[in-house]
Amino acid sequence: MDIETAGPPGLECVQVSKTFGSVTALDRLSVTFSAPATGLLGANGAGKSTLLRTALGLSRPDSGQLRVLGLDAVAERREVRRRVGFMPEHPCLPADLSAQDVCVQLARMRGLGRRDAVRRTSEVLFAVGLEEERRRPVGSYSLGMQQRTKLAQALVHGPDLVLLDEPTSGLDPAGREEMLTIVRRLSADLGIRVVASSHVLEDIERTCDEVVVLRAGTLAAQRPVLVEQELTGPVDVLVSGDVGEFARALEPLLAPLGIRIAPTATGDIGLDRSSDAALDVVRDLAAARGVGLQHLVPAARGLEDVVVDAMGVHGG
Amino acid sequence: MAEQPQAEAAPRAVLHDIRYSRYSGSLRPRSTAVASFVASSVRRPLGLRRSAGSKVWPFLLLAVAYLPSLAVVAVPLLVPQVTLQPTQLISYATLLTTNSVVLLAFVATAIPSMLTRDRRDRVLSLYFATAVSWLEYLVGTALAALSLLAMIVLGPLLVLFVGSIATADDPGRWVADNIGDLPRIVLAAAVVVLFHTVLGLLVGSLTSRRVFAVGGYLAVVLVAPVVTVLLSTVLSDDWPLALDPASGPVRLAASVLDRAVSGPGALAWVVWAVVVVGGSAVVAARYSRGSDA
Repeated sequence: MDIETAGPPGLECVQVSKTFGSVTALDRLSVTFSAPATGLLGANGAGKSTLLRTALGLSRPDSGQLRVLGLDAVAERREVRRRVGFMPEHPCLPADLSAQDVCVQLARMRGLGRRDAVRRTSEVLFAVGLEEERRRPVGSYSLGMQQRTKLAQALVHGPDLVLLDEPTSGLDPAGREEMLTIVRRLSADLGIRVVASSHVLEDIERTCDEVVVLRAGTLAAQRPVLVEQELTGPVDVLVSGDVGEFARALEPLLAPLGIRIAPTATGDIGLDRSSDAALDVVRDLAAARGVGLQHLVPAARGLEDVVVDAMGVHGG
Repeated sequence: MAEQPQAEAAPRAVLHDIRYSRYSGSLRPRSTAVASFVASSVRRPLGLRRSAGSKVWPFLLLAVAYLPSLAVVAVPLLVPQVTLQPTQLISYATLLTTNSVVLLAFVATAIPSMLTRDRRDRVLSLYFATAVSWLEYLVGTALAALSLLAMIVLGPLLVLFVGSIATADDPGRWVADNIGDLPRIVLAAAVVVLFHTVLGLLVGSLTSRRVFAVGGYLAVVLVAPVVTVLLSTVLSDDWPLALDPASGPVRLAASVLDRAVSGPGALAWVVWAVVVVGGSAVVAARYSRGSDA
């Protein structure tokens, strides 16, 4: 599935390295974020925050080149700053100012005129659901409202790319639901590129088109969130009763269709293809032998399996 | 041709779509962006667009700073029997010295926190990543601090100058005779304002805790005079007085304003230059990485 968008990639790393003392945060990382919305996954210390901070110019790479929207993150930082929005994970808002004042001030500091800044502030605060509370000091907001204010300020100047660091962190289920809806809308409806860092795979699945997994500062995996399943691709079958006996009975029936079977690592019966005729054979044989079909699923591995393996959760 | 009903020709209401959309307008020059940062940085220490309680202290200090000059201008204006000029009631140098306590109180509570509060709120990551460079941030903060201190130092001097024109028997002649005071007033105010701006920002750049910054600044301007006086007494010499950061700049400014006052000496100018240049360098070094750390 082609999920790339027109124009330069949101982020492009070429052999980027960054160390802090003896700790290597990014280790000759080469990766291109070209999807409309990319989810950045990885365990603590995998290099996610360092990558975002380096892209934003808050930290300089030791070596390699990092391009943001086709611009050099170091040499063309002023232009990068103008075209990027950032929502940090940590609290970053002046507690004594209202959401309205925060957004107007940041919009003006990013080059908008006063009239545009006020108008855009109204738009973004309405979009994130803060229009009623916009005049209260940020310090009196709930965590969810502060998250929304952080998102609003990241959007107020109309960036081409927004970097979201744990956008659902600390939100209750309802707040998280709203935040995910807003984030999905950024890339799907408004054409803003999104790079979202998160620990939660489900958040990435719901808001992003592509997932990038980092491990120890290197690229561990990169794949689309949605992979079209081939309708006639390999499948795994599990039946009740004696699986081996069922497999021996099934093999000669599938051989004329050119389909071979083999046991899988989990004890299922693996079919190397799954035409309609083959599935009919499986169904009819199960009915004839009076066994139940416990599952019949595509053999392709899901996103969660890929991510878990890439993150090395099992000690890899 | 039949006349169209008025309701069709001029709709009574318009629906505006206020949903979020992409911004397609042009951006202003960077100088405009920095100017807006300066304006917001001036408003915050004054408590503007904040609660009423936030305005009490800064405006109290402003009132105290302007009170002497307003009083000496008001008296000749309101009491015809008083024939003295405001500048004869209080000289520029005396006014500057009188206001020095107010100045120290204002600097302590307003200037270091212009930097500490942004570090405390951790807002620098937003500023440096998406709004301004570290240099624009420091220049904007320094300009805001200079503007605030100019209100305290230069403002009352200008009130005295303008009030003297207003109370003069022949304002035109008074201006012609005294116009030379104006550049000296500005220069003297600049000497004081620049010194305390840099000193306040220097202290503020070294910590993210406001209480430490305020305490640090007060320690410098309250303890140093005691030390310099003790040193002067022990050495039986006046040169240690030039090291006093509280009275030193005011004495320099007074020497600019009123040549009758004995100059504080070259060492005071050296100390002033070291603090202004060295302090600026230290502040710049603290922020030059462009990081929020």
